[in-house]
Amino acid sequence: MTKPLPLRHRAEQLAATLPPLLVAAERVAATVAQGVHGRRRVGQGETFWQYRHYDLGDQPQSIDWRQSAKSDMVFVRQMEWEAAQSVWLWRDTSGSMGWTSDRNHQSKRERADLLVLALSVLLMRGGEHVALLGSGLRPSASRANLTRIAALVQNGEPATDNLPPALPLPRSAQLVFVSDFLSPLEDIDRALRYYGEGGQRGALLQVLDPAEESLPYGGRVRFDGLEQEPSWLVSRVEAVRGDYGRRLQAQRDGLRDICRALGWTCDFHRSDQPPQTALLRLYTTLSQAVTC
Amino acid sequence: MLNLGLLAFAQPWLLLALAGLPVLWLLLRLTPPAPRRMAFPAIRLLAGLKAPEETPARTPWWLLLLRLLIVTLIILALAQPLLNPAARLAGSGPVVLVIDDGWSAARFWPVRQTAAANLLAQAEREDRPVVVLTTAASEQDAPPEASGLLSAAEARRLLQGLKPKPWPADRSAALAAVQDLDLPGSAHVVWLSDGLASPESDALATALQRLGSLRVLRDEGEGLARLALAPATEGVDLIARALRADAAGAGEAAVLAIAGDGRIVTKAPLVFEPGEREARVLLDLPTEMRNRIALLTIEGETTAGATVLLDERWRRRPVGLVTAGSRQEAQPLLSESYYLESALQPFTELRKGNVEELLQRQLAVLALPDSVVLSEDERGRIAAWVNEGGLLLRFAGPLSATRGSADQRSDDLLPVRLRGGDRVLGGALTWDSPARFAPFAADSPFADLELPDDVVIRRQVLAEPSLDLGEKTWARLIDGTPLVTADRRGDGWLVLFHTTANTDWSNLPISGLFVEMLRRVMGVSQGVGAGGGGEALPPLETMDGFGSLGTPPATVLALETGEDAESGVGPRHPPGYYGNDSLRQAHNLSSFLSQLEPLGRLPSGTTASLYQESPEQDLKPWLLAAALLLALADLLISLVLRGLLRPARGAVMPSLCLGLLLAGLTLAPSAQAQQSDDVRALEATLMTRFAYVLTGDDAVDEISRAGLLGLTRVLERRTSVEAGLPLGLRLGRDDMAFFPLVYWPITQTQPTLSRAAVDQVNHFLTHGGTILFDLREASGGAQIFGGGSRGTQDLQRLTQGITMPPLEPVPTDHVLRKAFYLMEDFPGRFVGGTLWLEALGENVNDGVTSVLVGSNDWAGAWAVNELGRPLNAVVPGGPRQREMAYRFGINLVMYALTGNYKADQVHVPFILERLGQ
Repeated sequence: MTKPLPLRHRAEQLAATLPPLLVAAERVAATVAQGVHGRRRVGQGETFWQYRHYDLGDQPQSIDWRQSAKSDMVFVRQMEWEAAQSVWLWRDTSGSMGWTSDRNHQSKRERADLLVLALSVLLMRGGEHVALLGSGLRPSASRANLTRIAALVQNGEPATDNLPPALPLPRSAQLVFVSDFLSPLEDIDRALRYYGEGGQRGALLQVLDPAEESLPYGGRVRFDGLEQEPSWLVSRVEAVRGDYGRRLQAQRDGLRDICRALGWTCDFHRSDQPPQTALLRLYTTLSQAVTC
Repeated sequence: MLNLGLLAFAQPWLLLALAGLPVLWLLLRLTPPAPRRMAFPAIRLLAGLKAPEETPARTPWWLLLLRLLIVTLIILALAQPLLNPAARLAGSGPVVLVIDDGWSAARFWPVRQTAAANLLAQAEREDRPVVVLTTAASEQDAPPEASGLLSAAEARRLLQGLKPKPWPADRSAALAAVQDLDLPGSAHVVWLSDGLASPESDALATALQRLGSLRVLRDEGEGLARLALAPATEGVDLIARALRADAAGAGEAAVLAIAGDGRIVTKAPLVFEPGEREARVLLDLPTEMRNRIALLTIEGETTAGATVLLDERWRRRPVGLVTAGSRQEAQPLLSESYYLESALQPFTELRKGNVEELLQRQLAVLALPDSVVLSEDERGRIAAWVNEGGLLLRFAGPLSATRGSADQRSDDLLPVRLRGGDRVLGGALTWDSPARFAPFAADSPFADLELPDDVVIRRQVLAEPSLDLGEKTWARLIDGTPLVTADRRGDGWLVLFHTTANTDWSNLPISGLFVEMLRRVMGVSQGVGAGGGGEALPPLETMDGFGSLGTPPATVLALETGEDAESGVGPRHPPGYYGNDSLRQAHNLSSFLSQLEPLGRLPSGTTASLYQESPEQDLKPWLLAAALLLALADLLISLVLRGLLRPARGAVMPSLCLGLLLAGLTLAPSAQAQQSDDVRALEATLMTRFAYVLTGDDAVDEISRAGLLGLTRVLERRTSVEAGLPLGLRLGRDDMAFFPLVYWPITQTQPTLSRAAVDQVNHFLTHGGTILFDLREASGGAQIFGGGSRGTQDLQRLTQGITMPPLEPVPTDHVLRKAFYLMEDFPGRFVGGTLWLEALGENVNDGVTSVLVGSNDWAGAWAVNELGRPLNAVVPGGPRQREMAYRFGINLVMYALTGNYKADQVHVPFILERLGQ
C-alpha cells in the first residue's frame, strides 16, 4: 500500500473529478466581495467592460491613455463588475467524530475533513470565497487561503462542542455543516435556527459509521461514550438492535424536519461509502440553490 | 516425601490443595466474565435500552479449564516434584556414606561421585550431618577411618578431593572403624560399593545395618571391574589374560598392548565364555613389536587392576652369546657366533660378551659356541647359574671333538658324555652318505616341527652310550645317533647340539629348521626370574587409582625382593615399576589377587540398587514456568474477550502467542551475533587475548573463562604479556583468527562440530593457531587415540574431520619445558596426565605445535574468582601444584607467542651451571 497522500492532495484529487462549482448567488448586490460572476455591468473587476468619455469627477488614474491617444477625446476604461458568493464551511470536530468501528475505514472525522476540504477546493476553483466557520479567517478564493484552510482542517483540535457555533455572518453566506448530528434534536434545532432566521441558506451532511447504523455487536458489552457520557451496560446487544435502529431513524427524521422548516437541504453519508457520492450531492445541492 | 516410583513430591501435603479445585471451578463458573468494553459514539441512543431477558453470560469452558490447569500446575510445582527421586533418607541420625575407593572403584568413578553428591544434596536438604568412611587405606597407610560428623558442605569438599586408590579396599579395617562409630540416632547408611566381595564384606554389611537402614549401591555384571592378569608366556608368545567377577553369561572386552611411549601396539579381543571367569587371548605379534609392549590394559577401563605392567620377565628371552675368547674372529662371516646371532636376533634379546659380563645381568639362555674356551672360573660361574635355572646351549665342533674323553670328565657342562673324535658322514673316505634327521619324537620339544628334505649333517660328535641317553635325546638322525641332547642340571638345562653352529659340519644353520629349533629351545628356558635376592628396589614409577603411571609419592617405600619379603600391594607399595638402573621390576596388583567375586547376598533388610546415572531432577521451576506461560496466555485471552486488545485480523493473536513462546524458548541470538561481529572483532584485536571454546556447558565455560582470567592476571604480574580479558568462542560462528591460543575443554555434552566449524578449525590450525585440548580427567591421556577413557572418546568425536598432526608426548628437551620456567611435568588440577603435542618434524609454523592434548584440567587450576581467589581445589593438592600449573600456563603462552626462540642457546649457560651442581 502506498503511503496515503496528505489530506489536501486527496481533497484536490477528489475535487478534480467534478467541474468547477459555481455557487448561485442570491443576493449579489448585498455582498462586497468580488468574484468571477460577471454582473454585466460596470464595476470593480478584472475583465474589460467598456470605454466611456472622461467626466468630471473621474480619477485621473482611470484614464486609458492608449485609447485617448487615438482621438481627441479622453477615455476612461471601465471593468465588468465581478462579485463572489461566500461559503462558510463547518465540520464537527468533537470526540465522537474521531471514531471508527473498523480500523480499515476512515473515521467519521477524517471523512468530514476530506469532504470539507474537497468542497473548498471545488468552490475556490469556481472563484468562490470560502471560509472555515469559527476559524476567524476572512473568506477568500486565493490559493493561500486554501493552504490555510487545509492546515486548519488537518490540525484541528477536537472540540468539546458538537454543534456549529453561533457567529454573525453576512446574509448572503452559504453554509455547509458536516457532522454526525447525534445531539438531541432540540439542540440541533436551536443551533440551525440561529442561521436560518438570519436568512442564510445552508446544507447539512450527516456522516455516520456503518456500525452506528447496524450495531453489529453481540453478547455482554459495556458501552462507553466518547464525550463523557455515562457508560451503559447491555447484557445482550443483539436483543436491543431493533430498538436502536428505530431510535436512529427517529433522529434522522427529526433532522430532516428541522431542515425542511428552514428551507435547508439535508443529506446522509456513511463513512464506508465513497466520498464522491456525498460530494456530488453537495455540488448538486449548492447548484440547485441558483435556480431557487 | 511422597514417592511414586519415577516421580516423588518433596512437599506432598501441598497436594491437598488440589481438593480445592472443584470449589474454584464453581466460583469461576458463577461469576460472569467481565463485559467487553466498547467505545460507541451513539451511546445516547443506546442509553436506557435493556435486553429483555438477563441470562448470565458464562465464562467459556475452555477458559475455565485453562485457569484450573494453571492453578493445578502451581500447586504441583509448590509440592516440589522430583524426577528420578532418590529414596528419602531414613532414620533421624546422620547420613553415613561408606565409599569403596579401592582399585575397582576407579571404573565409573564419576558415577560414584555423582551418586555421593546427590546424597549429600539430599542430606543438605534435610539438614542432616554426614559421616564419610572410605574403605581403602589412605596414601599414608592409615587404616580407613570414619570422619566426624560433618556438614554436607564439608563432606562435599572431602568428596571432591577423594580419588580411587590403586590398592584393594581394606574392608576388615573399615569394619573395625564402623564398629567404633558412635552415632546419635539411627543413621541412614549408604554403601557406595564396588560390587566386589571380600571375606569381610558380609560382616561389614551387617555392621552397617546395625547403624540404621542400609542401602547398597553396586555394579553388576559387565559393570564390575575386571582384572588384567599378568600375561602368560607360551614359548615366545604372549598370552593376555583377564579375570572377571561375574561368571554368568558371555562377556567381551578388548585388551590393548601399549608401548612405553603410549602408542598402541595391538588390540585383541577378550572373550569370556559363559560360566568362565577368565579370558585369554594370544597376542599375535611380529617379534620385533612384542618387545615394545610396556603394559597391557583392558580397553575402556581405567583402573589400576585393568592395567598390568610388563618387565623383563615378559620380554623376549635375554640370550647371552659368548663371543670373547673365540678363535674365529678373523673370519666373522663364517664364525659360529655370526650364525647364532642371525638366528637368535629376531626373537630374543641378544647380548654378546664374555661370560662374566653376560652373567652380571639376567639371562634366560647362554649360547656357547664350540670355539669358545672357558676358564675354570667361568665354568664354575656357569654351572652355578645353570643350577639356578639357566639354560646353557652348547654346540659341538672341532674343539670338543679333539678334547677327548679325558677332558670331558672335568667338563660337566655337557648333557651327555661324548666320545673322543667325530664321525664323518659322506666324506671322501666313508661309505655313508650325509645323514638326515629322523622325525622328532613326540616328547621332544621339537615335536611337530616340519623337517625339510635338504638338511643334512655331514659331521657330528657322538655320545657315549648310556642307559638314559634315549631320554636325554631331543633329536636324532635317521640312523638313531643323537644330534641334540639335553639334560637337567639343578633347576636349569644343558642342551648340546652335536654339530657346529656354522656350516662347517652341516647345512643345518642355514636352514629355517635351525631357527625353529632354537625357538623351541628358548621356549624351554625359564625366562628371567623375579629380581635378585634380598635387594630393596626403590620405586621408579607408580600407578594411581586410574591406572596411569606417574612419579611415586613420597610415601612409597622401596620394594623388598627375596623369598621371605612380604610385599603386597598397598599404600607403601602401590603397583608400578620398582628398581634401579639395571633392574626394572613390575609390581602388579593382579599378582596379589587371584580371584574376583561379586558381592553376594546382603543381609535381609538392606536395599540394593545399581548406580544410576540419571540424577533426581527438580521439576518445580519447569512447572512454574509452564504456569507462567499459561497465565500469560490467559491474560491475552481475557484481554481479547473484553475487547481491550482488538486483533485487526484473525492471524495476529496466534502469531503473537507464537512469537512470545518462541522468544521465550530460543533467545534467537543470531541477529544479535551478526550485529556484534564488528564490535567483537575490534574487541578481539585491540588487545592480545586468549580464547576458550564455548562448549555449551555453562559450568565448564565459566571455569574456562575464570581459568584464562587467572592466567592472564598471573601473566600480567610476572611477564611482559599484558593480555585482555579472555573471550569465549563459538566454533563455526566467531572468527578464531584473532587468537594466538585457544583453550578447548572436552566435554561430553558438546555437540559434534558442523562442517563449517571443522573447516574453520582446520584453517586456524594450518595458519599458525594453537589449540590446547583439555580432557579434564584425572590421569587421562596415557593413550589418546585408542578408545580408552570417556574423555578420549569425546576428543575423538569432537575432532572428527580436524586434521590432527601426528602427536607425541612432550620430549624431554622440548621448548615448552623451558620457555619461561624450567619444568619437568605439567600439572593442572590433576597431576600425572601425559601432555601430547605435534611431533617435531618439519619446521613449519616456527616449530610451534598447533595442537596440544592433555588431561590435567588446567583451567580448573588457573580459575580464580573476581577477588583473585582460586575457585577449585587441586588434586592431590598444595600451593606448589597450583604454582606449577600457572608456570605451565606461562610457558605455554610464551611458547605460543614467541615460538621456538627459546630453543636457542639462551639458557644453556644457566642449565650447564645447574647441571654442574
